Amino acid sequence: MSVQLEIAGLAVAFRDHREERPLLEDVSLSLERGEILGLVGESGSGKSLLCRTIIGLIPSRKLRVTQGSVRLDGDEILGRDMQAVRGRRIGMIFQNPTSHLDPVMTIGRQISEGLRHHKGLDDRTARAEAIALLTQVGFPDPARAVTSYAHQFSGGMRQRAMIAIALACDPEILIADEPTTALDVTVQAQILRLLMELRDRRGLSIILITHDLGVVAQTCDRIAVMRHGKVVEVGEKRALLAAPQHPYTRELIASHPSMPHPEDAVITHPHDRRPIFEIDDLDVSFPVGGGFLTGKREVRALKGVSLRIWPGETVGIVGESGSGKSTLARAMLGLTRVSAGDIAFDGNVLTKDRDKTLKHLRSDAAMVFQDPFNSLNPRLTIGQTLAEVLKTQGETRSDKIPSRIGELLDLVGLDRSFAARRPRSLSGGQCQRAGIARALAVNPRVIIADECVAALDVTIQAQIVDLFRDLTQRTGLTLVFIAHDLAIVRNLCERVIVMHHGEIVEDGPSARVFHQPERRYTAQLIAAIPDINPDRPINCGPPSTQQEYVT
Amino acid sequence: MRRYRFVLFRPFQFLPVLFGISIITFVLVRLIPGDPARILLGTRATPTAIANIRAQYGLDEPMWVQYLYFLKNLASGEMGKSTLYKVDTLKLIVTRIEPTLALVVAGVVLALVIAVPFAAISARRQGTAADHAIRIVSTAGIGFPSFWLGAMLIILFAVRLDWLPVSGYGERLGDKLLHLILPGLTIALSLSAVITRSLRAGMIAGLSSDVAVAARARGMPESVVFWRHVVPNALVPTVNLLAVNIGWLIGGTVVVESVFAVPGLGQLMVRGIFSRDYMVVQGVALTFAVATVLINFLADIITVALDPRVEI
Repeated sequence: MSVQLEIAGLAVAFRDHREERPLLEDVSLSLERGEILGLVGESGSGKSLLCRTIIGLIPSRKLRVTQGSVRLDGDEILGRDMQAVRGRRIGMIFQNPTSHLDPVMTIGRQISEGLRHHKGLDDRTARAEAIALLTQVGFPDPARAVTSYAHQFSGGMRQRAMIAIALACDPEILIADEPTTALDVTVQAQILRLLMELRDRRGLSIILITHDLGVVAQTCDRIAVMRHGKVVEVGEKRALLAAPQHPYTRELIASHPSMPHPEDAVITHPHDRRPIFEIDDLDVSFPVGGGFLTGKREVRALKGVSLRIWPGETVGIVGESGSGKSTLARAMLGLTRVSAGDIAFDGNVLTKDRDKTLKHLRSDAAMVFQDPFNSLNPRLTIGQTLAEVLKTQGETRSDKIPSRIGELLDLVGLDRSFAARRPRSLSGGQCQRAGIARALAVNPRVIIADECVAALDVTIQAQIVDLFRDLTQRTGLTLVFIAHDLAIVRNLCERVIVMHHGEIVEDGPSARVFHQPERRYTAQLIAAIPDINPDRPINCGPPSTQQEYVT
Repeated sequence: MRRYRFVLFRPFQFLPVLFGISIITFVLVRLIPGDPARILLGTRATPTAIANIRAQYGLDEPMWVQYLYFLKNLASGEMGKSTLYKVDTLKLIVTRIEPTLALVVAGVVLALVIAVPFAAISARRQGTAADHAIRIVSTAGIGFPSFWLGAMLIILFAVRLDWLPVSGYGERLGDKLLHLILPGLTIALSLSAVITRSLRAGMIAGLSSDVAVAARARGMPESVVFWRHVVPNALVPTVNLLAVNIGWLIGGTVVVESVFAVPGLGQLMVRGIFSRDYMVVQGVALTFAVATVLINFLADIITVALDPRVEI
């Protein structure tokens, strides 16, 4: 193999009138022809900036390249006119296809735009080429897709469209910046397979940026680990995963949710007591659209869900986006209107005796939200936020409140000095700990956590999961943990409930569900998790090419 | 095509809206102090003469009966006889509609001619002297009242430079266009200020949007990124802003038509108010309401055409 792209001693710095701060330092990497290079690191490690620098699209005027070189086939491209290189020799796809596709231009025109510009094709030839490309990336009805708009497709199909646009002018290198992070796990597996297929068919070289070591383990040939703007370790995939040299790489590998947790003890709670939640035939529908004279449609988010949750259990609810898992959580806390069926909390039926049940729920159940920043009031310090909850609840005497705040912060592993800080000065992980402290403030018997680690980096995710495990074991808390990430649920929860299209498809002890799933859907979901072990490939089989039209 | 289905159904929603507006204007006009018969006949009129006129125009009936007459007239294509002009109000409105329409169209076209390039320069050279100058001018444009701006334009272009007519409307097409420039510019200067600011904001957001980054990443030159990706996306919110402003503008022609003595609906409205000509005032108000409703309808159609995601 020959080296196609060579980055040597690259440094990028942020500079304004006050300071100069390095963002990339002495980055040296090479990409060989036909290989997939995985670029791994957590948010802020500089992996996206590195790729933007390669194609000369530095995101701010305050950033500049201070030294180094980038050679494409031996020719220096850094600081050159990149218009002939972008799209033509190096293509790029992004994390969020929804925001990167032009919403008011058809998919076909976005593909042919590059063809006409770079290759000088006329309209008809460009259109034919666009249809051929859409066929290649797995659109079953490319002639229709070519005149469709991005919003008419599902997230996975949008990412396929973006790949088609990036590959339109036959680039030799594809830079993929977190291409599957916004996608469901089964769709992620499809897109990753498509990338590997394209590499084989076109002899493409790919730089795959991701925060998920499982994704690189499944797809890449070599791995480069970045941290704080530096490449800390580069190596062949198997060698690097088997014998990581740098302590940070070891930490990343140990934090990966597919790694078995040492205390993966299976505790099964006796089901002889009264369930804390009893849900029977629950239906929740939302009206969609509808105006004067036009009829309303209904979307059934939950269809006849029945469920028991016993005190002290740690229950994971998993499912892909749109499966109804968040709706279920909101319904359990009385935050959404129930169309039919019953929800009982601790013997009180929410649908019958609403006020009384809500009162119980508010003092005995608490929710932890997905977005730790936006669910905390930015104007209040963490201490004020907690004090507010304690005062409203009224069980703590006002002179005891400061000491109770201290206890709560101890419980979630935050230093007591955090009571005086505002959310703005906290990291994502610290904010989520504060959010958990707020949930614990009411001394709840149940915590419902809705995707509460989805927005966090893997090492922080692992810490929060540890915190939950510790809390449930020490305090006998009941935890309902909602996540799309099955691997985290397998690590944390003793029981798992799988949801699909508003129904529960499987419910059982985690150990059983993950090893011998009874339903085909569950098996597919589990098979799609990118395992950190490269020899356990993500689900094979024919590529699923369902062209979903949303409208 | 399904997205355009509202074009068929929407007009049915106009009926209750217009019905409501007709009641409100009908009642409000009659709440103005003063009696049309007394104003028509002057201060020395005898009580009998006044009573005769009142009976002749149906002004002695209770208000709800008068309203029913009004509805009955509307159904037969009339708006009631003007006490001032002695002809049916609808005929009056039809003859006066052209100058007003021409004025609004001229104002909007000129506003776009000014706003689009200004916003483009401002957004693409954000933070430069050109950007600051355009922003100062457009802030000032919002601040100046149109009667003052109109007067200044007359002094400069008609009196000092003698390039354009001072006021009036003209007979033939060329003459009319010449007469439209100054009042059109008066409207355009304040309208373009609003549009420039909205477009500039949309364009600046668009230039750093993911859509623009993706277009640059596939090697599109900056001009293509701007005109083909940024501008179409920035136009969508501006169309709605424009619709709201045109609605406001139609009422605003009252002032501009007075300053430039354009014989349009605005002028008719002013005369009607002064002589308590109920039929004229309510007729013109209803016409303005219909125009506003239609413009918003048109804006909805344009929005659906510009943005494939919108469903109405």
